Amino acid sequence: MKINRKLFPYVLTLPALLVCVGILIPFFTAVYYSLQRYNLKMPHMKGFIWFDNYVNIFTDPSFWNTIRVSLTYTFFTIIIELLLGLGIALLLAKRTWLNNVLGVLLVLPLMIAPALASLIWRLLINPNFGVVNYILSFLGLEDFTWASHPDTVLFTLIMVDVWVFTPFIMILLLAGLRSLPRQPFEAAELDGVPEYYKFFRITLPMLFPFILTASLFRLLESIQQFDIIYALSQGGPGESSMVFQVSAYLQTFQYTNIGKAAAMMVVLWAICYFLCHVFVQQWHKLKIKTKGELLQ
Amino acid sequence: MSHSKMKSAIDTFLKGKMSRRDLLIKAGKYGIGFAALTKLMGMQVTSALAAQDFDWKKHSGTTIKLLMNKHPYMDSMIAELDNFKALTGMNVEYDIFAEDVYFDKVTAALSSKSSEYDAFMTGAYMTWTYGPAGWCADLNDFIQDSNKTNPSYNWNDVVGNLRDACSWSGVAGDVPGAAGSKQWCMPWGFELNSVTYNMRYFEKAGMKPPGDLVEMTDQAEYFTKNAGSNEWSYGIGTRGSRSWATIHPGFMSAYANYGLVDFENNGGKLKAAMNSQASKDFHKQWVKMISSSGPANWSGYTWYEVGNDIGAGASAMIFDADILGYFFNGNPENKEAGNFGFHGFTPNPSASAPTPNVWIWSLAMSNFSKKKDAAWYWMQWCNGPENAMAGGVKHNQVNPVRESVWASGDFDDKIRGTSPGYMEQYNSSIDGSKIHFTAQPLFFETTTEWAAALQEMQTGSNVDETLDKLASKIDRMMKDVGLA
Amino acid sequence: MSINIWSILKFFAYVAIIMFFLFPIAWIFNMSFMTNDEILRKVPVLFYEPTFKNYIGLWEGEIAIEGFATMYVYFKQNLINSAILSVGSVSVTLLLGVPAAYAFARYKFKGGEDIAFTLLSFRFAPALLIILPLNLYFSEIGLYDSYFALIWVYQLITLPLLLWIVRGYFEDISPDIEYAYRLDGHSWFQSFWKISIPLAKPGIAAASLLCFIYAWNNFVFALILGSSQIQPVTVGALAFITASAIPYGLIACGIVVSVLPTLILALFIQKYLVQGLSLGAIKG
Repeated sequence: MKINRKLFPYVLTLPALLVCVGILIPFFTAVYYSLQRYNLKMPHMKGFIWFDNYVNIFTDPSFWNTIRVSLTYTFFTIIIELLLGLGIALLLAKRTWLNNVLGVLLVLPLMIAPALASLIWRLLINPNFGVVNYILSFLGLEDFTWASHPDTVLFTLIMVDVWVFTPFIMILLLAGLRSLPRQPFEAAELDGVPEYYKFFRITLPMLFPFILTASLFRLLESIQQFDIIYALSQGGPGESSMVFQVSAYLQTFQYTNIGKAAAMMVVLWAICYFLCHVFVQQWHKLKIKTKGELLQ
Repeated sequence: MSHSKMKSAIDTFLKGKMSRRDLLIKAGKYGIGFAALTKLMGMQVTSALAAQDFDWKKHSGTTIKLLMNKHPYMDSMIAELDNFKALTGMNVEYDIFAEDVYFDKVTAALSSKSSEYDAFMTGAYMTWTYGPAGWCADLNDFIQDSNKTNPSYNWNDVVGNLRDACSWSGVAGDVPGAAGSKQWCMPWGFELNSVTYNMRYFEKAGMKPPGDLVEMTDQAEYFTKNAGSNEWSYGIGTRGSRSWATIHPGFMSAYANYGLVDFENNGGKLKAAMNSQASKDFHKQWVKMISSSGPANWSGYTWYEVGNDIGAGASAMIFDADILGYFFNGNPENKEAGNFGFHGFTPNPSASAPTPNVWIWSLAMSNFSKKKDAAWYWMQWCNGPENAMAGGVKHNQVNPVRESVWASGDFDDKIRGTSPGYMEQYNSSIDGSKIHFTAQPLFFETTTEWAAALQEMQTGSNVDETLDKLASKIDRMMKDVGLA
Repeated sequence: MSINIWSILKFFAYVAIIMFFLFPIAWIFNMSFMTNDEILRKVPVLFYEPTFKNYIGLWEGEIAIEGFATMYVYFKQNLINSAILSVGSVSVTLLLGVPAAYAFARYKFKGGEDIAFTLLSFRFAPALLIILPLNLYFSEIGLYDSYFALIWVYQLITLPLLLWIVRGYFEDISPDIEYAYRLDGHSWFQSFWKISIPLAKPGIAAASLLCFIYAWNNFVFALILGSSQIQPVTVGALAFITASAIPYGLIACGIVVSVLPTLILALFIQKYLVQGLSLGAIKG
C-alpha cells in the first residue's frame, strides 16, 4: 500500500460521492425555483420572490392537512411493517425447508412494481368484481368502503403499503438475524436463561442497528410514497389522503406551478433531513452501546 | 388487367362519381376481396393526393418525431402511415406512452424546450396551459398559408364547434374561437357526453332510456335496488376520481344543460359561480343520484372503471363519452359487447336539446420543433379528408371531426350496423356541443378542487356548505393570479 | 402443554402470513390464465379453461381482437431494457458502494460521517423535485434517452441503500481477522477480497437484491428521461390499458413475467443469505 494512510478512506469513498454529486446541480436548480413565482403557463408573472412560496404554503391550512396525513401514513406504515417484519423474520430464522421457501416467496409483493401492485389491489377490493371483497362478503363486510370513504381510505392505503413493503424489512432483519454471533446465545443457553429474556436482552439489542437501517429507508420511502396513494385514491376522497408527493405531483405536472411545488418538496426534504439526522445519531449510539455490552 | 380496370373504378369513386355500393359490386366482379380493395384504395388515395398541384415531396428524406398517447386514434394513424411515407418520402418516428402517464411526459418534454418531438397529441384543455406557456405553434400560420397547405385540405370541413374549441386568445374569460384566438391545436377525434345503456337490461326492466336527470335518477335507483337477483350491480356509471376528468364529461354536460356556469365573467375578472342557488340544487340532484345508485367505490372512477363496468355488465347505463360506450361495445372481449344502445341525453326537463361538453383529442405542433414545415405536412395529411375517411371507415377514428366523414354513406353504414342510436345521438347533440367551461389558466386547479368537493358531498358533507367553501377557495386562487 | 399452545399459535401465524401476503400473488398468477370476461364476474370463477393467450400475446407483441382492433405491445423490449438498467445499476452500485461502505465502517476519518450522511441525503429529495431540471440539463447535454444516463440517475436510489446496509455488516466484522490475515503478508486488497467481502456476504446479498428490486421497479426516471425505446416493464405494462378495456389478464401476465427475473435472482441469493448463519460464529 503506497497510498497515504490518511487519504486511503477518501480514495474508497469519493468515487461514490462524486457519482452522486452530479445530481446536486438539478437539486440546487429546484431550490432556486422554490424562491421564484414560477408557473410555466404564466411566463409573464415569473419573478424572484424570496420566501413567498414558503409563506404561502405555511399559511395554507390544506398544507398542514397534507403534513398531518403524510406523517400519520408514515407512522403507521413503519410501526406495522416493523412489527410484522420482525415477527416474520423471527418465525423464519430457523433453517427449515418451509422457511427457506417462504423466505423467497414472501419477497414477491416487493418484486411487483408498486404502480402495478396497486392496480391489482384496486381490482381485488372492487365491490363488483373483487375476489377479496367477495370473500369478505361472507363475513358481512361486503359494504366495506375501502379507498372510497374518508374513514377507511387511510386504512386501505396503509394495508397495501404493508403488503408491498413488509418484505423489505423482513429481508434485512432475516439477514441480520442470521449473521448474529452465536456466543451470547450459547452462553445464555448454558445459563438456562428464559426465552423472553434472551429475546429482549440479546436478540433485540443486537438486531437494533439493522432495525434502524431498515426503518430509516422505510421512513424515507413512506413519507415520499406516491404510487400506491395516487393509484388508489389520488389523495381523495376530498383531502382525506392528500400526502406530500401527490400534492406536489399535482402542482408540478397538472398545474405546472413549479415554484410552489419546489417549495413543498424542499420542506419535505428538510423534514427528511431532520428525521434522518435523529435516526443516524441513535444508530451510532446504539452501535457503540451494543458493541460495548458484547465485549464485556 | 382487372387491376387497372379496378383502379379506374376507384378513381371514379374517389371523385365522388360512383357510390360505394357500385364500387363494391365492381370489385366483386373483378374478384377483388374487401381487404385488397381497401389496400388498393389507400394506394390510390395517395396517388390522387400526389397528383395535386402541391409539392408533397418537398420534405422528402426528413424524419419527424411524434409524441403520442396509446389510443385507438394512434392505432388508426399507424395503420395508414405507410401511405404518408409513400406520398411524401418522409420518415415518421413516434414515442407512445400510456394515457396514465402521457401528459406528464408531454409536460416534461415541452418544459425542457427540447426539439426532440415535432408534433404531439393533446386535449384542448391542455393547450390552455401549453399555449400561454409558449409550447405550441399557432396553426393559423400554416392552415392559412396556401404554400404550405394542400388545396384539398379543406379546414372548413372540420366541425365548427371543434375548430373553435381548439383555439383561444389566452385571455381569461375569452370564449374559445372568438376574434384574436390562436389555433393552438387542431381537432383529430372527439367525444360527446351522452347516455350509453345496456339494452338487454333496459328491456328486462321495461324501460326506455331516460328523458331527464330525474328520470335517470329513478331508473338508476331501480337497477341498484334490484341488483341482488339480477346480473347487474348498480344503475348509473359516472366518473368520480379526484381529478378534472370527473367534472368534464357527464357532470359538466348536465350542469350546462341547466344553464349553469362555472364562472361569472365581469370584464375579465372571474367569480366562481358553483355556489349559486340553482347550482346548489343541481348538485343535490347529482349527488343524490350517484350516492344512491352509482358505484359503491365511486371516488375511484375514471374512464376505465366506467367503461369496464358497463362492458362487464355491472352497470345498467353510463353518462359519459359516447365513444367510451362505442369502444367497449365494439371490443368483443367485453362480456356485454354488442348490447349497448346510445341516447342523446337532455338532463334538464325544460331544455330542448342535449348540450354535451366536448373532449377533443387534437394534434399540436411543438414550438421548439426545428422541422415545423415538415411536421405540418404530417399534420395536414393526418387529419386531412382522405385519412379522416380511412380512419373513420376502416379503423376506430371515432368520432371523426370532419363533416364529410359523418355525411358519407360508408361511415353511416358502419356506425348504424354496430351501434343502435349512435347517429341519432350525434345528430341531436352536436349543435349544442362545445366546451362549456370558461377558458382560464387555472382550469385544472379549479376542476380538481371541484371534483374533491363532489367527493366530499358524496360521502356525506353538506352540499350548500361545501359549495360555498369551494367557491371561496376558487376565488382565492383566482385572486392570487390577478383574475378576481 | 405450553409448547403445544406455542406451536398452535405459530401455525396460525404461518397461515395468516401466507394468506395475506401470498393470496394476492396466487390470484395474480391465476388471472394471468384468464380472459377479461372471466376475471370481471360478480361471483369469482374458480373453474375455467386456462388460456395461454395472454402469454402468447406478450411474446408475439401483437394482440389481435377479432373484428375490432390489433394492439401492439413492446414487452420483450421493455424486459430487455429493465434487465440492462437493473443489472447496470446494481453493478455500478456494487463497484462504488462496497469499498465506500467498508471505508465508513472501518476507518475514522475527517468528514467521513458527513460524506456518509450526504450520500444518504440523496434519498431525502423526492424524484419529483429534481426530475424537471434534470430533464432540462440532460436534454441540453444530449443525455436524453440513454441507458448510461438512467443508470447514472438510478445510483441515487441504489447507492445509498447498499452503502448503509452493507456498512452495518462490515462494522460487525472484527478487524482482528483482517489484521491477522494481513500480518501473513497479504495486501489490503487481498484481505478485503478474501476476508471482508465473504464475511459481509449476507448483507451484500440482501442489499444487492433490494437494489435490484428498486431499480427494476423504478418508474418515473425512465418515463421522463427516455423515449419509448428504453422504457422498462413498469412503464410498458401500463400501456396495456386501452380505451376499450383494462385487460387485467394481460396485466397479471405482465406482472408474472416481469417478476420472474427478480425471483430467480432471489433464489440464487438465498444461498448466500443462509450461508451467513454458518459463518456467524467467527464474528463479533
